[in-house]
Amino acid sequence: MAGIAGAIRGGWRGAIAATAVLALAAAASAAAADVASVVQARQAHFKEIGKAAKAMSEQLKSPMPAVPVIQAAVKQIDALAPQLPSWFPAGSGPLSGVKTGAKVEIWNKSDEFKHDAAAFADAAHKLDVIAAGGDLAAIRAQAQAMGQTCKSCHETFRQRDD
Amino acid sequence: MTDEDAARRRSRNLVVRVWDAPTRWVHVLIIVLIGLAWWTESHDQMDWHIRIGCALLGVVLFRLAWGVFGGATARFASFVRGPKTVVRYAGNLLRGGGSDDAGIGHNPMGGWSVMALLGVMVVEIGVGLFCVDVDGLESGPLADRVSFQAGRTAAHWHTVLFDILLALIALHLCAIAFYAIVRRDNLIGPTVTGRKRLTVTAGEGAVEPVGLARSGSAIRLITSAAVAAGIAVWAAYGFKL
Repeated sequence: MAGIAGAIRGGWRGAIAATAVLALAAAASAAAADVASVVQARQAHFKEIGKAAKAMSEQLKSPMPAVPVIQAAVKQIDALAPQLPSWFPAGSGPLSGVKTGAKVEIWNKSDEFKHDAAAFADAAHKLDVIAAGGDLAAIRAQAQAMGQTCKSCHETFRQRDD
Repeated sequence: MTDEDAARRRSRNLVVRVWDAPTRWVHVLIIVLIGLAWWTESHDQMDWHIRIGCALLGVVLFRLAWGVFGGATARFASFVRGPKTVVRYAGNLLRGGGSDDAGIGHNPMGGWSVMALLGVMVVEIGVGLFCVDVDGLESGPLADRVSFQAGRTAAHWHTVLFDILLALIALHLCAIAFYAIVRRDNLIGPTVTGRKRLTVTAGEGAVEPVGLARSGSAIRLITSAAVAAGIAVWAAYGFKL
């Protein structure tokens, strides 16, 4: 519509410019919608990890831990952990205007971020291997080590929301 | 000799017991435990934070019991007043006039401050029992009864309620400063010693301190403390049998 109106008023040059502006606006709103869905998916992934970690740590605190529950939870964390950096595509940070706890440092210090994410994935995998052995003392120690990788990464890269 | 001098000569100082020992101990413990809960949380000592929270639960529960079975000034019935009394007291205070009562125990406004502080603490600690941290690794003793998401919501409210508690504490301190500076009334001394010096003008006859701060009985003290401590420890173990 604007393109046609532009053509009537300002000739073809105006029409092209008006169409380009419209196209850009459409692209920007499509991008915003994309970012929102990226953030939503990211949060859902982290909640899956949190849920599994909660299930695991409850068993570890219990007087009679159910090892199969721990093993299942740890396997889930190990499967998700290596994907973590892929949940943070460029442009999905706080500058997008979408509400997110992800700090700009994730992209500004991306080497450090990838290093921290890899430390988490390594710790999660190690925990998966140890959990398969069923030795509760060893599982507890490695669960604590993995927890430290969560905390140290969150310290730098996550905005506290609670 | 002026009239004022004569009046002073007729007046006598009366030292009265205002707060019984359990009420004063509760006050000290609440200050210390809130400080420790705050410190441990901000220094990532969550195991201790949870233990301290449960200890504080015990102290607050004891205070609630003491509000029923305790000494005269500790009892809710003695200091929870209706809105008319509160408004009248506030009006007097603003006009700089004397208070209605003899200045022993909580005044009508302070009484509601105490109820608000105790109420927020009960809810704060109750919510705290269900909290889960962002990593799903640290959690309150009742968090295994709820989902990760619900535990995160609890953690959100735990933070909001703590801010509300801090605001109430700030108000509490401002009131103490107001009484100290404007009214020349030291409220902190009696909180520590339990005793307050009242200047009574002979013939005024308004003050009758006898029995005002009568203590609760020892058996009620021991029973209240034991029940409160029992519930606190049980809570720390997630109310499991």
